[in-house]
Amino acid sequence: MISISSLTKTYGREPVVNISNLTIRKGESFGLVGNNGAGKTTLFRMLLDLIRPTQGTVTLNGKNVQGQDDWKKYVGSYLDESFLIPYLTPDEYFKFVGMLHQYSDADLHQFLQNFEELFNDEITGKQKRIGELSKGNLKKVGIAAAFIGNPAVVILDEPFENLDPTSQIRLKRLLQREKERRAITYLISSHDLNHVTEICGRIVILEKGMVVKDIVGDDLLPQLEEYFKA
Amino acid sequence: MNVNVVKATIFFFIRLYLNCLQNVILHLNIIKLNFLLLNGWKKSVRSVAFEKELATHIFLGLIAIMVFGYSIALGFFLEKIITTGFNQPDSVKFVSGLLLYYFWFEFMLRYFMQSTASLEIQPYLHLPISRKYLVHYLLIKSVLHLLNFLSLVLFAPFAFTAVARQVGTSAWVWLLSIYLISLSLHYIVLIFKKGLDDTVVGFLALTGGMGLLALADYYNWFRLSDASTVFFEFILRNPLVLVGLLAWLLLIYFFNFNYFLRGMYPEELAPHKNSKESSIQNLALLQNLGMLGEWVNLELKLIMRNKRTRSVLFLSGFFLLYGLIFYTNKTYTQDMPGFLLFVAIFITGIFMINYGQFLFSWQSVHFDFTLTQPGSIAQVVASKYWLLCGITIICFILSIPYVYFGWHILLIHGAATLFNIGVNVFVIMNMALWDPKKIDLSKSSMMNYQGVGAAQWVMGIPILVAPYVFYLPFSIGGYPTWGLLAVGMVGLLGLIFRTQLLTLTTNRLQARKYAIAAGFRKE
Repeated sequence: MISISSLTKTYGREPVVNISNLTIRKGESFGLVGNNGAGKTTLFRMLLDLIRPTQGTVTLNGKNVQGQDDWKKYVGSYLDESFLIPYLTPDEYFKFVGMLHQYSDADLHQFLQNFEELFNDEITGKQKRIGELSKGNLKKVGIAAAFIGNPAVVILDEPFENLDPTSQIRLKRLLQREKERRAITYLISSHDLNHVTEICGRIVILEKGMVVKDIVGDDLLPQLEEYFKA
Repeated sequence: MNVNVVKATIFFFIRLYLNCLQNVILHLNIIKLNFLLLNGWKKSVRSVAFEKELATHIFLGLIAIMVFGYSIALGFFLEKIITTGFNQPDSVKFVSGLLLYYFWFEFMLRYFMQSTASLEIQPYLHLPISRKYLVHYLLIKSVLHLLNFLSLVLFAPFAFTAVARQVGTSAWVWLLSIYLISLSLHYIVLIFKKGLDDTVVGFLALTGGMGLLALADYYNWFRLSDASTVFFEFILRNPLVLVGLLAWLLLIYFFNFNYFLRGMYPEELAPHKNSKESSIQNLALLQNLGMLGEWVNLELKLIMRNKRTRSVLFLSGFFLLYGLIFYTNKTYTQDMPGFLLFVAIFITGIFMINYGQFLFSWQSVHFDFTLTQPGSIAQVVASKYWLLCGITIICFILSIPYVYFGWHILLIHGAATLFNIGVNVFVIMNMALWDPKKIDLSKSSMMNYQGVGAAQWVMGIPILVAPYVFYLPFSIGGYPTWGLLAVGMVGLLGLIFRTQLLTLTTNRLQARKYAIAAGFRKE
């Protein structure tokens, strides 16, 4: 589904990402962990063609993402607040993204019902604009928008960050429920080892831009705890 | 030339044009466009700044309406003004001669007022909208700028009265050619600002171009007006030139298109964010001055590392050439020498005026930091004083070559500099303390009115009026040189009593710091 080959990004002389080979299969739940500055967000940005790689390519379904537009139809993503349009209300934002995916009002209404629990009555039907929302609510809007259009791939950067404990659990349930409903490939980065191992069957650890560990299996958490112990 | 070659060339351009048009139309999905335009509208109406700076916007809007009103009026009376006012029998020829100057003026106007809101499309980049669509949207929407209607407003009335009387329906050709050139200027400025703005090359190209034109006219190398007349009369006789102009416009459009398409990455769309290595390090000279020098160093870094402040600095360099307009013209040097004092105040003090008006706003993001650091507020105030004075003195030194136009110019500049660093600097610092507004430098662009409050609107008055209070009594009495000396002396007095004046300014800051800090903390 996604394959990365000899991908590097350097700022000045510092390599921020340097990955020789990485393939993510269709339907895989791929977790990305690593300390601050490991290059997780930069990697995701290159997957989404938001940063021009210094070298190498990212291919999605066999096609290079760089300079292409068609993959955007089946990749949903939320990395940070620059994905949101601050002067719209959440409803207007969903309607806009929905329009891009040919959603009718009824489609959108049905779609948003999946998120009712996560939204906790604070997002939809309000006049508050996205720019005025709290960090946690911003995250909820972005994650929901990433699922519009039944994407085959969903890329989320730190989805649990800034969410209250209840919302974290609800989000986890939602991600698992979506996964059960249809074949979906997750790429999720997180600092929360518990959450990420619960959702992802494969974990890659980045350090200084390089893949230092690529593990699959059931006992991921103990291995990660071992790796990250101070 | 062979008729067939001409035909083939024309057909080629028509085909190219049709292809391009088709390309554009294919990308114009109407529903999507509605949404994008609606979003753009919501953005401007709903922004926090819109409500907060409503008064400023209304004021600017009124000015814009006024300018347009005057332009239309000017357009209608242009012929009368030229034939009776300037005693020129052929008004069309006369205006044609001025057109290239007008385009130069329009270019400068565009350079300072036009900006691409290229970051506006950032939230759409990861969504399923094709990149080509977004670039077309960005480029075509950019035409909806007041400046793109200026040439029409200004010249349409003239074209349909005076020009039409002379050449009949060819007036259309005349007007259209002006509009096409104006539009191509629009796209040239877009790409110029994208690629060369804020670079030394771009700065030199601008100042060099302007200086060259002024000098060429002064020394009679060639006259732009003659070239202009020839060009536009040629167009009137050969309407086919329009096709060439259209092709030229499309060429620039697609040059822009390719340039933007290749650079559709947020890092590259953003105006040079952190892209510059910290080019200015601490100046060793200033470090010897202790804490005071450190504060000056900090502020120099602020100026060099932020686009908006950098353009204030560049503008000051640009204003050094301001004198070329006036000192080369006998109307000013001989008939109204008093006016030159005004020019000199600007040449030496433009940085002080432009930067100083927001003196405390520039650092509004870390004002709390400034207040909580060891060291006294007096030092902060003193550092700002020396920064403004230092750059004013540098402007004076750089303006010394104007002595070529006469020693009295040096005298005027000296008096103006003394007055600037003795009196005006304190006027500006104290006016800047009057309810300063927050400026977020990360949101930088020309035509950014963030930070503009009441003080900024009236600040120019005392600065420009004050020197004349001392100059006019002597000059009316017939001793203009004594007037200049008086202006210089008053400046010198301010310089001598700077410690006392600085203390007064510091006390005002002390008294107002809580209110200012609270104002800055508000979003």
